[in-house]
Amino acid sequence: MIENQTKSKSQTKIKLVIDIIIFFVFLIAMDPRSSGIAVHEWLATSALAALVVHLLLSWDWIVGITRRFAGRVNNVSRINYILNWLLFTDGTIIMLSGFMISESLMPFLGISMPQNFAWRSIHDMTANLFLLLLGIHTALHWSWIVDAFKRYVFQPVAKLFSMSRKKDMTT
Amino acid sequence: MKTLGRILIILTVFALVMGITYVAVNAGGTSSTGTQRFENGERPQFEPGQRPGGDFEGRREGGERDGGGWMFGLIKNVGIIAVVTVLIALPRSIARNKKRSMPVTAE
Repeated sequence: MIENQTKSKSQTKIKLVIDIIIFFVFLIAMDPRSSGIAVHEWLATSALAALVVHLLLSWDWIVGITRRFAGRVNNVSRINYILNWLLFTDGTIIMLSGFMISESLMPFLGISMPQNFAWRSIHDMTANLFLLLLGIHTALHWSWIVDAFKRYVFQPVAKLFSMSRKKDMTT
Repeated sequence: MKTLGRILIILTVFALVMGITYVAVNAGGTSSTGTQRFENGERPQFEPGQRPGGDFEGRREGGERDGGGWMFGLIKNVGIIAVVTVLIALPRSIARNKKRSMPVTAE
């Protein structure tokens, strides 16, 4: 029981860190005009690893809801599940269309992609949709985000300050 | 081993979605957006790393914007996410608080 709680706590912490990384990587990658094409492509591709870790950490939830989807699942979880699938599919299409119009990554790997201008508009469209889906995803997990930030960011910082104040008082 | 299996499942689904999209776009795209623009049968050739001009000015290298403009895209994206989040999370939190503060009625 205690072991499970500790495992869940450390998982939440890892998840929070991974999610923050993904969020910032996404923000930088979403604006290739400021970051540059090379950074945009390499950063977005490397974010794939972080996304896999994100999915691995949510594995139990994914499996649980997949099994019970047609049965007794509350509506929020059901909406969340569908939204996550949309996010996954949209993210995959962004990746694929990105590879197809790549100007830095694919040439670097020596792979030349067939020219089809449809990929560019698909890339832009799915990226815009991803932004919207990410907003909904963030909103549906808002209470988790607030709790995790309170527990692993604000409380430790507050504790640190109170400890240094106590030290100052004693000296 | 369990984790490796899970990674394999994720990558398989990833590849599957990519495959379906690739087939769908190539089946539909070639007849509409892609090659039909060049009705004389000539398609422009691009070297790897060279990008087409014209309509696609969205993907320029960094540093080409006016001063401070590079921040605009970043702020705009954060803004969109924030607005969507507030629009959904705020009513939910208000509804939850209302539910919590409602007195429990005897049945």
